[in-house]
Amino acid sequence: MLGDSRSVKTLILRVCLLIVSGVGLFGGFTASVVSASSDDYSIIASVQNQTLVDGSTSRTPVAGVAVTVTKADGSKIGDGVTDESGLCTIVVPSRDDYLISIDPSSLPEGLALIDADKSTVSISKDLFTTNTKRVTFFTGEGASSGASETERILQRLSDGIRLGIIIAMCSVGLSLVFGTTGLTNFAHGEMVTFGGLMAFFFNVILEIPILISGPVVIVLGGLFGLLFNWGIFARLTKRGIGLISQLVVTVGLSIMLRNIYLFQFGGRTKQLSSYSKQVNIEIGPIGITPRDLTTAILGVIILVSVALFLQRSRLGKAIRAVSDNVQLASATGIDTRKVIKIVWFAGGALAATGGIFRGLDEQVSFSMGSDLLFLMFAGITLGGLGSAFGALIGGFFIGIFVEMSSLFVPSELKVAPALFILIVVLIVRPQGILGKSQRVG
Amino acid sequence: MDWNQIFQNTVRAAVGVDAIYFAIAAIGLNVQFGYTGLVNFGQAAFMACGSYGLGMTAQYFGIGLWWGIPLGIVCVIILALIVGIPTLRLRADYLAIVTIATAEIVRLFVRSVKFNKVFGGTEGISNFSREYRDLNPFEPGRTYGVVPFRFSGYTLITIVVGWVLVAIFAALVWQLMRSPWGRVIKGIREDEDAVRSLGKNVYAYKMQSLIIGGIIGMFAGMVLALDRGSVQPDNYSRDVTFYVLTALVLGGLAKVSGSIVGSMLFWVLFVLSDNILREITRNGPLRIGDFTVIQSTQVGAVNYMFVGLGLMLLMTYRPQGLFGNRKEMALDGR
Repeated sequence: MLGDSRSVKTLILRVCLLIVSGVGLFGGFTASVVSASSDDYSIIASVQNQTLVDGSTSRTPVAGVAVTVTKADGSKIGDGVTDESGLCTIVVPSRDDYLISIDPSSLPEGLALIDADKSTVSISKDLFTTNTKRVTFFTGEGASSGASETERILQRLSDGIRLGIIIAMCSVGLSLVFGTTGLTNFAHGEMVTFGGLMAFFFNVILEIPILISGPVVIVLGGLFGLLFNWGIFARLTKRGIGLISQLVVTVGLSIMLRNIYLFQFGGRTKQLSSYSKQVNIEIGPIGITPRDLTTAILGVIILVSVALFLQRSRLGKAIRAVSDNVQLASATGIDTRKVIKIVWFAGGALAATGGIFRGLDEQVSFSMGSDLLFLMFAGITLGGLGSAFGALIGGFFIGIFVEMSSLFVPSELKVAPALFILIVVLIVRPQGILGKSQRVG
Repeated sequence: MDWNQIFQNTVRAAVGVDAIYFAIAAIGLNVQFGYTGLVNFGQAAFMACGSYGLGMTAQYFGIGLWWGIPLGIVCVIILALIVGIPTLRLRADYLAIVTIATAEIVRLFVRSVKFNKVFGGTEGISNFSREYRDLNPFEPGRTYGVVPFRFSGYTLITIVVGWVLVAIFAALVWQLMRSPWGRVIKGIREDEDAVRSLGKNVYAYKMQSLIIGGIIGMFAGMVLALDRGSVQPDNYSRDVTFYVLTALVLGGLAKVSGSIVGSMLFWVLFVLSDNILREITRNGPLRIGDFTVIQSTQVGAVNYMFVGLGLMLLMTYRPQGLFGNRKEMALDGR
């Protein structure tokens, strides 16, 4: 018991050291600048074009954009055009609720709003902390605007496939760990974040291109997973601590790791520097950057190799056997403890890969993995808890479903339909698509 | 370093509003997790039901504040049915997955632009608590009490109401768990099949436990909302449930006093750590040589790091908590 206590402490120390030595970066927080005041109330609309230079966002003002301010009932208050500094000041009669909109067609050629839904911003009177209220619109290059319905559907589908690949990749480990040890690992999202943050460390801070640093990060991710098992969960199992208690331990681990990331990395999202400046190439109606196309193809290759590995290789068969029935597998001479170690390594490596891809796809942040955790759970429940193929299929489907559903629901709520799937699956077919049915209560 | 002030803040945290709402939420979570063995990771959503129940009376319905209580109860029951119906027949971890997901989605819904009119978006709701403030017998501007327990009249009302609620729910749960109903509930935690073989409808009992725990949790949200005078969506993030869980495990699962003592202790330790770290970093970052150890913006992260570490260590070395009874810790009797 004393030995165990010491080793858990050394483990925690090691985890801390690993991360402290790994991500040597402190995030700063910048305070927003409040504009000067005058007697009248006014709204300053600012149009800024965002571009990514060397991993940080740089903004340049956009001139000549038509801005309109209306009241909530639609009556017009004033309009104007942005000047060289991208600003347009419109005087409003009182502190009230207003709608500020810009005309997307007046944007310069090649620019479009980053979020097409945000061409109109509503502000309430409570937001006037001084006499002026600043509203900023962000544009970026090449985002498609004015697309037809089919084009939007295809675009969402392509986004969905990319998200699906990432979720499938991340959830294999989660599902396999569950299958082989029975543990529901709520800290799995932190393994994904680990990959993303490590990629940021190598790519942006040490300036090593992602193609070289990527494999290193993937191996580190695998070792990180192994560390989870070796330092915590193998020991807990040996001590005879039950699975629900272990589940609560994973929650503690998740909170701890997430705050270590926050401590080191800061609260802001940051961009990886490799391949951040990319122009869309058009494949039929879909605009996709070469980077996204490459990650998608690489992702498919990885997923197919994982599937082939599980299906064909001796080790893959052993993993599936343990996942199916630990006692039986053990009785047939499979070294289950070795298999569990391999599963943690592979799960960690795949999660880190997912983290790198997610970091390239979107941005890197301290909570990028835990934000995906719920989608991963939805994916593996759909596919069948404990089944690796189920995780691949379920995760892939959930990714597509979430992106496609943003055609119908506001994009801020697009993960809500995934919960709906989760609940329907649990009612109709709780064992999932590929899970084996078992009597549960 | 002002140790006197730190000491005062720390002692005051034991009886403050934070400890109260954690205690109420923990009593509710204890019914579900400690006594019944239901892994509810979405207590924050039940708390949000209470807060938004109160807030929506003014924001959306334009009715009296106290209608918020029945409104909140209805929300809790709907939420409990949504998470309970698909999962209570299944293994324990399914409930964990669905509750954590539901809590996250509830938070996304209440902070969304789409439902701004109903829930007030990211700004939340304020200006609903006047009826409650009017009941305050203390003068809001005056300071009452003796050092270190000094509170303004504005806060004192919530502290009094809050501790009365804590006492009521503690007594209620204590009685409930001595009743035949409580024995069935504990039986479910120990051995579900055995209880089923006695002809009890396990599913219904679990659902009742989920709803009762949820309603108690709802009152925690109400206390928070009334004290702050506002409802903020980010007060109900996923992690809040886990902090309440940490407080509960700290005090001891399946013990009424455990939830209360645990919450008080949680906040004492939290405020102590927070105050010391802030004191250290107040005049710029703490450095050893050229290495920056910690700066003031990182204090929050370090505090919560300790919470996570504490939960892990407690669950590993002292799952019965500081005062709990190990016999009551049969969490894995699925």
